[in-house]
Amino acid sequence: MEQQKIIQYLLTIVQSDSLSEDEFNQNALQLFAYQYTNNLPFRKFCQQKGKTIRTVKTWKDIPAVPINAFKEVPLTCTPPAEAERYFMTSGTTQGVKGKHYHPTLEVWNLSMKTYFKQRFMKETEKIRMGVLFPTENEMPNSSLACYLALAKQEFGTEESHYLLGENRIEIERLIQELEHAERSGEPYALLGASYSFVHLFEELRNIGRSFQLPPGSRILDTGGYKNQSKEWELDDFYHELSRVLGVPRKDCINMYGMTELSSQLYDSGNERVPSVKSGPHWLKTRIIDPLTDEDVAEGERGVIVHCDLANFNSVTTILTEDLGMKVDGGFLLLGRVQGTEAKGCSIAVEEFIKAAKGATQ
Amino acid sequence: MRERVGYLPDIGDEVIESKILTFTRKGVTLEVEAPLLTRKQMQQVSEKVKRASAEVLKNMTIMEIITIIDTAIEVLLDRNSTYRKKAEKFLPIVTGYDEEMIRLGLTSFLKKFRKYELQRFVVEDLGNPLLLDDFQPRIKRGFSKAVGPELILHVWAGNVPALPLWSLLSGLLVKSGNIGKVSSAEPLFAGWFAQVLVEVAPVLKDCLAVVWWKGGDEEREKEFFTYPDVVVGYGSNQSLESMSRRIPVTTRFLPFGHKVSFGVISNTALDSRKALITAHHAAFDIIQFDQQGCYSPHLFYVQKGGNISPEAFAQYLALELESYQKRYPRRTLSLEEMTAAIHWRNQEEISSYTGPTKLVLGQTENHWTVVYEEGGLFSPTCSNRAVKVIPFETVDDILPNLKPYRSFLQSAGVAAAPRELFQWAEKLGNVGVTRITSIGKMTSPESGWHHDGRFNLLDLVQMIDIEHSAEEYAENFAAYID
Repeated sequence: MEQQKIIQYLLTIVQSDSLSEDEFNQNALQLFAYQYTNNLPFRKFCQQKGKTIRTVKTWKDIPAVPINAFKEVPLTCTPPAEAERYFMTSGTTQGVKGKHYHPTLEVWNLSMKTYFKQRFMKETEKIRMGVLFPTENEMPNSSLACYLALAKQEFGTEESHYLLGENRIEIERLIQELEHAERSGEPYALLGASYSFVHLFEELRNIGRSFQLPPGSRILDTGGYKNQSKEWELDDFYHELSRVLGVPRKDCINMYGMTELSSQLYDSGNERVPSVKSGPHWLKTRIIDPLTDEDVAEGERGVIVHCDLANFNSVTTILTEDLGMKVDGGFLLLGRVQGTEAKGCSIAVEEFIKAAKGATQ
Repeated sequence: MRERVGYLPDIGDEVIESKILTFTRKGVTLEVEAPLLTRKQMQQVSEKVKRASAEVLKNMTIMEIITIIDTAIEVLLDRNSTYRKKAEKFLPIVTGYDEEMIRLGLTSFLKKFRKYELQRFVVEDLGNPLLLDDFQPRIKRGFSKAVGPELILHVWAGNVPALPLWSLLSGLLVKSGNIGKVSSAEPLFAGWFAQVLVEVAPVLKDCLAVVWWKGGDEEREKEFFTYPDVVVGYGSNQSLESMSRRIPVTTRFLPFGHKVSFGVISNTALDSRKALITAHHAAFDIIQFDQQGCYSPHLFYVQKGGNISPEAFAQYLALELESYQKRYPRRTLSLEEMTAAIHWRNQEEISSYTGPTKLVLGQTENHWTVVYEEGGLFSPTCSNRAVKVIPFETVDDILPNLKPYRSFLQSAGVAAAPRELFQWAEKLGNVGVTRITSIGKMTSPESGWHHDGRFNLLDLVQMIDIEHSAEEYAENFAAYID
């Protein structure tokens, strides 16, 4: 299949209501064949694992590419130079950032809009939004900046605004917005990186303010808040979020996304943490034992693998560094596999890299 | 199963809280009950240990102490003793290492602390062991005596079995009171040793304590660190740094951070016959405790120009690791470790697509990985039997790679001809290596080694000098003066 046909077909899939297991399988295998043929580093990766078009029989057989691979080789079926856009990963290994190439953002955009509407907007068509993240112009290679820009453009009312300037929260502006929502009773949505909300907590604590946003208001946070001044427990985070903004925890939605994917996953609020996450019908998540590549039993911890059909140009199937557990209706995200510290007195890679950076700077 | 660990001196009728640490291996669960002292109890223990060691240990001769330790070590070497049986049964559960590996490892380790080895240990540092007993004449005239601190607190880390013995015995040899905090990853051995010691020499019953608290427990550490004169700490630089922030300036802190070690193999060791043996030894250094030790190698620099090329050596190494996997299988990894191992190998594989001189060897079960890489960078691997082989022409080629990591280097296992050995030792020493050893012995330092280049006993003691002038002056006041 050629690229144009794939794109057209994917656009129909994203707009459809569901995919049967069979249909999903069919599509995943077709994409696998396409990527195996056109994405050379990926083909090598498969060959090294002894996987070819002949031996891959279901989507679960597709070798999951570790996210670090994006830092090592260009994983793309079309020449990188012809990409409309590429997104860069935030984490680096020895200064190298991973790149995810998109020959067109058509599929990415439709995937984002369709599922965002379903999981975050629900019945609402438009809502007044505040975005706690830099704009797309400021961060052209950030998939999250692109995501939030699209959210604002498609689903935000005209009064929607970015509330982050030069990496600082524009607190006066934000307070005006929140006060306006309180006064007018018009539902308000605040979206941003999780750590921006942590900063917001600090700002509001300093001035001793909290708000009671009108019903229908909602929050979307994403990413983690590691390495911030204070590490927050999930439960404390959502407790505080709900307290300072007056939005019930069921309306505090967490988006789980990755630069290496072309779709996002969500939970249905955070009344209880960790919340159950799930993705759209064109994305399937497995929880595997990394040693055997087999699914672990429900209720057991494993490593998260995503197969995202919208990832037509790179690789559909990604091995994350996240731990998860399969449950009814999705999976629990149990955090990142920390660079495991050696149990003995041998230095761990992460400590070494950190120290080496210090030594060479 | 449940095992009480640690050791406490007699501090009266105190209710000691304990913390249960649970370990499971191959379906067997062991609950370890570790004593968790309150601040007041810790103070009592500190005072008791200080007093008892001043009264008992400080009045013993060094030979008496050595003899007691020797007897205790004999007990632990005896495979029929209760303690040894316990060690062989429980240590595999707690640390996850293979039973045989632990049994052999324990014996070869404990052998280093018998009477004659201990004597060597003392002579190595002090020259004259009697310095620990009494004032001894100095060549410069005058007299000196070496006095250990009143109280040493050891903060141990890691899961390499029995490792705490190095510092605990050093503390005993300088006649100090000793309190050790065991690590959560191997909380057993130090306590057993204390118990055996007191069984063979009941007079020592109040001279030491082995306790547990959660590492980094700020409240406890802040207070506990005010009691000892010296704190010996093990761990990552991060944990040592936070430890040091809690230690008063008047307390001496001897930190032992995590290290990285490697091997260097000369082409003289790479003829068709010797290369196999060298690879066998190198593989042993890798599998012993699954590269968790600071002395465990992560890379082997292999010289070009031998009969056997570095690339072929990498393949030999791979075969040896595969056979060892049958004899001494790797311990079961946690999900985190497993994921780290998979990601490490995947990344090496993927980067090998762009580097034609890179080769990744391994089997699908991922029990070990050997990466051959021309021009590979110096870096630890993910451990757990993952190793890099990097070819080189002359030893000068590898030095620039090592140099930036001076403070992290420890052992270099060397296989080279005698003249090369000394030339290389000089160069490796200059970039920060503190121990040159043979391949195959990397995980087994000799008694009396200088851990991270430091002294075991000298770093602990304080010298008391009687200067010659005092001696001469005293003559003026003698009763027999004419």
